[in-house]
Amino acid sequence: MTAGWPRSAAKRPQGAVSSALEILAMIARCGPGVTAREIATRLGLPPATAYRLINHLVGEEYLVRMPDLRGFAIGRRAEQLLSPVAAPLVPLVAREVIAGLRAQVRFAVHVVRYTPTALRPVDTDPDHPLGPDQRIARYLHAAAAGKLLLADADRWHELLPPGPLKRLTAGTLTGAGELAADLARVRAEQVAYQEGELRPEVACMAVPIRSTTGALAAGIVLSGPCERAPALRRHLDQARSCAERLAPLLT
Amino acid sequence: MGQQTGLLPQVREVSPVAGLRRRRLGFLPVLAQSVSATAPTAVMATVPVLVLARAGPLALPVVAAAIAVVLLVVHCVTQFSRRMAAVGGLYSYVAKGLGPVPALITGLAAILGYAAVAMSSLLAVGVYLSAFAGRLGLSGAHRQWQVGVIVVAAGALAGTLMVRGIRVSSLVTLVVELVSVVLITVVLGALLVVAPAHLRISAVPATVDASSVALGGVLALAGFIGFESASTLGAEAARPLQAVSRAVRWTPAVTGVLFALAAVAEVGTLALEPPSAAYSSVPLIDLAELNRMGALVPLLDFGIAASFLACTIASMNALVRVVFCMSREGVLPPVLGRTHRRFHTPHYAVLAMTALVVLAPVLLLASGTAPNEALTTLLISSAYGYLGSYVAVCVAAPCFLYRIGEWSTRTLLAGGTATVVLLAAAWAAVDGTPWRLTAPVVASGLILVAGVLWILLLRLLAPGRLREIGLYDEATASDLLWLPGRGREGRRP
Repeated sequence: MTAGWPRSAAKRPQGAVSSALEILAMIARCGPGVTAREIATRLGLPPATAYRLINHLVGEEYLVRMPDLRGFAIGRRAEQLLSPVAAPLVPLVAREVIAGLRAQVRFAVHVVRYTPTALRPVDTDPDHPLGPDQRIARYLHAAAAGKLLLADADRWHELLPPGPLKRLTAGTLTGAGELAADLARVRAEQVAYQEGELRPEVACMAVPIRSTTGALAAGIVLSGPCERAPALRRHLDQARSCAERLAPLLT
Repeated sequence: MGQQTGLLPQVREVSPVAGLRRRRLGFLPVLAQSVSATAPTAVMATVPVLVLARAGPLALPVVAAAIAVVLLVVHCVTQFSRRMAAVGGLYSYVAKGLGPVPALITGLAAILGYAAVAMSSLLAVGVYLSAFAGRLGLSGAHRQWQVGVIVVAAGALAGTLMVRGIRVSSLVTLVVELVSVVLITVVLGALLVVAPAHLRISAVPATVDASSVALGGVLALAGFIGFESASTLGAEAARPLQAVSRAVRWTPAVTGVLFALAAVAEVGTLALEPPSAAYSSVPLIDLAELNRMGALVPLLDFGIAASFLACTIASMNALVRVVFCMSREGVLPPVLGRTHRRFHTPHYAVLAMTALVVLAPVLLLASGTAPNEALTTLLISSAYGYLGSYVAVCVAAPCFLYRIGEWSTRTLLAGGTATVVLLAAAWAAVDGTPWRLTAPVVASGLILVAGVLWILLLRLLAPGRLREIGLYDEATASDLLWLPGRGREGRRP
């Protein structure tokens, strides 16, 4: 396969990129615990080059060095490459439950799925499309569904892009302190709101759908115009009972 | 031991250093920690001339050799810092390379190094601030007493900052250090402008012997010590394997540039001055006075005091983390391993170490020791501590790489050369001076003996604790790629 690589290949920048990706693929294939020497041998790389690339990837946190200091595993950061691409399925039974809620409320109902670092809308309301720019997935600090994810994360700062928080509307929370306080409230009440923070005129409410171990798996988002926000909030109990019914179907 | 996951038995759910504010500190504070620990301004004001006085015509090669040795040690330290996020710095590194007993001895050496340098810096803050007050005409007659009061106040300030968090204390040291560098650069610039005719390098002593050259080398090396102290921020730094290694590599460069600037200015102006300046404790102050720039001296006093304050805080931050790490391992009492709920700092360890670092200089002053003499004693003791831990890490690096199966001949050569040169320089320097059996030698020896007894006691009474040595902020389940449906615990409402 790659055993006959020219020795200098990994020294060119392109060579280094290919080798880095090969290393990631190799560790994904072998599973946690594969050692640097094994990787170098299997890929036919000079050991010093392999160790340098591996240590670079570990420094960037795409790889993780295991506690025995010899073995490696794929790091949490690599997850950003993989899980948003893999399409999660929503079973037909779950779609029927969601349709039931849509029939009861006069608001848009969307369902999103979570990974530890990202969210993806998986069942959007056919009558009220989310808009083409995927704001809900991109601006976690301004979306109700995003706040659920941030409130659940141990190190939520890392899920946001570096630098100051983007101001999307006049109502967007852009102070780290403000956002932290809002997330603390979300954590305590287990429901997230936004009113005109993501788009002017649009309010949302999001409730979590959790697995039996308590992990955040998905969320139900209700949205409507800002002036109907009080009516939106009155549907909290309905949204929660729907979330309970969806939990075994989506986790 | 932390709770372990079902998925991979060797991966813990909770970090062994949980309680610290993990993975949040940016690169700048990490670099500030290492740079401040080298006290660059104080080094600029003293070391170049001291080296010139000892090494004479060989000053330049001696400084180059010292920098080369520092780079070899940097290579060895970064072999560890790229692979493990340590809280105990060199102590934890040596544990992974050579095992628990050499690690404990290294730990003692590091504690001696950090504690003694913190004590001497604190004392220096007192000495220079009190001189500053004296020159401005504010000082009273009781200088000793005055120095003591400043030491206690500065110690309390340092302790408070450290409890508030590493971010606050690092940023404060960064600002203080910048102020200090600017002040000293102004003075150096003025010296260069006022005394342009003097700009030629002269050899202060015409002939030199081997041991005084070696002493010059050790002094030049002393200008860089502390560069490794970022290695105690492994848990708190964001992307620690990258940030800590980078800080350890950049610090000698930053210090080296400042050192070179100071050397050019001081050596140039020293040429026509009487040789007494070369042997004074702060040659730069004498140089300023000799060049009829006495008005600048208070600036220098203030700048040097600021640099020493930054150095105190940085060294204590490192010291506290080594102690915290030992406590989490069970080598020291568990109370020192507790963390503050709100500030996420090891506040009991901070309290204990602040008390120690403040008490020692106060007792020295109370016993009637002259501040300058106490300063020298403490500085030499700290140099022993640092050199000891550097030698240990240079020996440990190739062993560590062999143990984890990432052998590198380059590291063996670097570590071997650095070990030999460090030991030879230390031996030659000690050999030619009246340091034999002086206070620092006796104190370092006593600490070493006490440490060895303590290790033997631990081996006899609690051999299990020795096995925990070498604890670091290892990868936990949440650092690994999430595998859907395989028992990752979420946060329960």
